[in-house]
Amino acid sequence: MNDSLVWLVIVGSGVVTFLTRASFILFADPHKFPHGFRVALAFVPPAVLAAIVIPGLVSPAGGIDFSLANPRWIAGLVAIGVAMRVRNALASILAGMAALWILQALAR
Amino acid sequence: MGTVPFGFVAGVAAVGAGMTPLQGIALSLFAFSGIAQLVVAQLVAVQSPILVTLLAAFVVSLRFLMYSAALSPHLAHLTVRWRVLLTYLMTDQVFGMGVKRYGDPGDRGHRHWHLFGIGITLWAFWQASVLAGAILGAQVPAAWSLDFVVTLSFLVLLVPAVRTRADIAAAVVAGAAALLAAGLPYRLSLVVASLAGIAAGVAVEWRHRR
Repeated sequence: MNDSLVWLVIVGSGVVTFLTRASFILFADPHKFPHGFRVALAFVPPAVLAAIVIPGLVSPAGGIDFSLANPRWIAGLVAIGVAMRVRNALASILAGMAALWILQALAR
Repeated sequence: MGTVPFGFVAGVAAVGAGMTPLQGIALSLFAFSGIAQLVVAQLVAVQSPILVTLLAAFVVSLRFLMYSAALSPHLAHLTVRWRVLLTYLMTDQVFGMGVKRYGDPGDRGHRHWHLFGIGITLWAFWQASVLAGAILGAQVPAAWSLDFVVTLSFLVLLVPAVRTRADIAAAVVAGAAALLAAGLPYRLSLVVASLAGIAAGVAVEWRHRR
């Protein structure tokens, strides 16, 4: 990609992320928006986060893979289990990585 | 937090996409959002049109709209300069930790300093990790599967975000749609899946209320 186009993407990404963050803190009052909009807003985190997480667990190499050849969904279940029990992000991430490394070592 | 390995992965991804290390760290300074940086790197790597790349960055940033709406009443009394600063520093972690604190009783006058403290600390760790990733590049062996930290970082945000039946519907439909739409170009699956998940959540919520 052309160098100046890359810079345009970089600055544009900064604008997009800043404006979404700034939306209500700087510009608008959420209570002036229709109720339906606020209801929809509440489902943005579970929807967007699941759209990122689920393919990362089930489809790391493209194609849906629930077999033991793909240890990531099992490691993900371990991390979910820890996250549901303790409110400690680091513990869940470490548990998930440890599970992945163990499963990878066993498969070798 | 997974901040350091995640930042490292984001730095590696930027350089892997053909950006210079300077562009990688610039993207990180401008966007200061791990998933936005990763998605942009992926799309720059496949030479996608600028508008498609920015649309993808917008979709993964949609959750900031919700965080912004939730935080705005707590920040309304601050000066514009403070609000701009806290807006720039606002991330998933800052929101998660900050909102917890705003729910506590007691003095509210200095809480923006608390948000700033979390934000600037994460910011410093994040930028240093991205810089390290952009400079060192892919020297970490692939067998370490460091990229899995990205999925796990969002997984630990997803779990507490799913509380009601409608949240479950939003997450399940978005996850399934992301898999079904995986063949779409330019990571449009993310756009389709997010919208489908939001619609599913709203539908369950409305049916439940009737």
